[in-house]
Amino acid sequence: MMDLWNQLMGGFATAATPINLLWAFLGCVIGTAIGVLPGLGPAVTVAMLLPITSQVEPTASMIFFAGIYYGAMYGGSTTSILLNTPGETGTMVTALEGFKMAKNGRAGAALATAAIGSFVAGTIATVLVTLFAPIVADFAVTLGPPEYFLLMLLAFTTVSAVLGKSTLRGMTSLFIGLALGLIGLDQITGQVRYTMGVPEFMDGIETVLVAVGLFAVGETLYTALYEGRSTQEVNKLSSVHMTRKEWKRSIPAWLRGTFIGFPFGTIPAGGSEIPTFLSYATERKLSDHKDEFGTTGAIEGVAGPEAANNAAVTATLVPLLTLGIPTSVTAAILLSALQNYGIQAGPQLFTTSSTLVWALIASLYIGNVMLLVLNLPLVGLWVKLLKIPKPQLYAGILIFATVGVYGMRQSAFDLYVMLALGLMGVAMRRFDFPTAPVVVGMILGPLAEAQMRNALSIGSGNWGVFVERPLSLGLLVVLAAVLALPRLWRWRTAASRK
Amino acid sequence: MLGGSPAKHIARGSGTFHYANEATMTEKSSVAGQTLVGVGALLVGAVMAYGATFISSEAGYAGVGPNALPWLVSVVLMVCGAWLVWEARTGGYRELETPSGAERGDWHAVAWVIGGVVANASLITTLGFILSCALCFALAVRGLRMAEGKAGGGARRSLTDFVTGVAISAPVFWLFTKLLAINLPGLTASGWL
Repeated sequence: MMDLWNQLMGGFATAATPINLLWAFLGCVIGTAIGVLPGLGPAVTVAMLLPITSQVEPTASMIFFAGIYYGAMYGGSTTSILLNTPGETGTMVTALEGFKMAKNGRAGAALATAAIGSFVAGTIATVLVTLFAPIVADFAVTLGPPEYFLLMLLAFTTVSAVLGKSTLRGMTSLFIGLALGLIGLDQITGQVRYTMGVPEFMDGIETVLVAVGLFAVGETLYTALYEGRSTQEVNKLSSVHMTRKEWKRSIPAWLRGTFIGFPFGTIPAGGSEIPTFLSYATERKLSDHKDEFGTTGAIEGVAGPEAANNAAVTATLVPLLTLGIPTSVTAAILLSALQNYGIQAGPQLFTTSSTLVWALIASLYIGNVMLLVLNLPLVGLWVKLLKIPKPQLYAGILIFATVGVYGMRQSAFDLYVMLALGLMGVAMRRFDFPTAPVVVGMILGPLAEAQMRNALSIGSGNWGVFVERPLSLGLLVVLAAVLALPRLWRWRTAASRK
Repeated sequence: MLGGSPAKHIARGSGTFHYANEATMTEKSSVAGQTLVGVGALLVGAVMAYGATFISSEAGYAGVGPNALPWLVSVVLMVCGAWLVWEARTGGYRELETPSGAERGDWHAVAWVIGGVVANASLITTLGFILSCALCFALAVRGLRMAEGKAGGGARRSLTDFVTGVAISAPVFWLFTKLLAINLPGLTASGWL
């Protein structure tokens, strides 16, 4: 325990140097801004800024990226409440009650409970990360390639087959991602695969290219094609404070949301959608003001999901740092940022790069305070961003997309690939294909393949290696349960209706 | 392989099937479009399979070589593609969320945006980052403005857009090249344009 405390203090010492504080602050500001702005999310923003990994030292850039990830969650709730178009999937539920509250002149209270709730949940979740991540890392050291492979398989399964409505479309997306990940050199034998004679493909497809193409360019093209005539109403901002009664209703919702959100972030369940919906359902069930839900807007319906969202986002750091397994798109991109530095995320990280890890964790505490200040008194400033006209906003996004893609490896060819991926993004959105599996498949695919082949090498080519070890057998059972249970459940409810 | 026959469907005059309680087909997501997407996945799978034949199968101790995953991916993609085509032809994709936005795409508007990106890709090394991005911005803004049903604007408007583009791309260029030392192409060797 004392050891933990010392390491955390060491982390604060690194994170609180002026230059790192500046990076954290910059990350929080950019994060909040892109969270407020429609069209850009934290994943694509971090991806666009990946070129800086060639110049900025790892600790500073991870603090910066984490600030963006965090800040986007704070900013996203502002847009959900005032505009009813969630900037982020995680803040979708906030829009349900938050927009109704704002419509009835209680925008200020909704914004306050969202920001303070995010702060409370983010801080509690960071404490939990501090306590549990080292324990998980200690345990993870005992895992071998078979277990890692199955954990990654579990991540693939949940992100493509369990989330989203159609397993078929999820699988298609995942395998498109895996296909993109195949391009380039094979990690184990160094064999060239699918380069089609294009020298640019030798190094593989850059993460920034796929993320920017699918999300930023895809979003811009989609807007030009289909959303030009969609109009939006913006709710009026009212003074940001909560009454005594609103505090009393918010606090239990924040705490419940935190404890719903955290576990979901640590398992590969695809980020913050499930916990936010779960928290919303819980609040709705427990509330003494059921009549306000869906009519005038209930404050619990904003407080709970917002807390769940931030807790889940923070918790994604546990599997990312201790196992090297991303459970959300942004986490996947953070992983590839670490890869750019040649840092292997995994249990060794806590020993080999302990300065980085603890500075990152310490910066989360600092970032939460910064974001509370940035988002509560200054909310009026951020709302002004919503006044940027759509054409200029999206055309500007194209400029930033170019910086990210071209800056990564100075290749104009990549800009054409970016456009092609953008067109694919439009088709995927139009035909309701999830995009997260593409990114996760592309980044995690090569790692999973290497783990699988290493595992089979251990077993001298015998697939039995996956069932002989007790832990990997256990993971196989979990995998089967994850695949089978939702189907059984659906089948049962369908049967009971008859 | 292509799943069991659906539990309940009702035949319509045209001979296609519609699910009673599931998403009905709209123009937004036509049979033709859905089929095309399925065929696309099928084709990608087929191309991957062709490519996989060139990858060595040298397996070492593992028993699976560098060509194992390529084969798996190509087969699964072909199966998914075929399945998508089948779904499209038998009442449309299942559990389909209606996409947001207009029924029909504004292809005229999006052509300007695509033109902007293509111009940027082909001119960035000769014109330099700032001017090339400003051109991309001006073309894209024009397209996006037309998508909103407004006029694209005349020469004056385009010039304003171009200047706005420079006002965005120039600081970005300086920030990345001067402060972060990231290579971006310039028109001159001065490092400022």
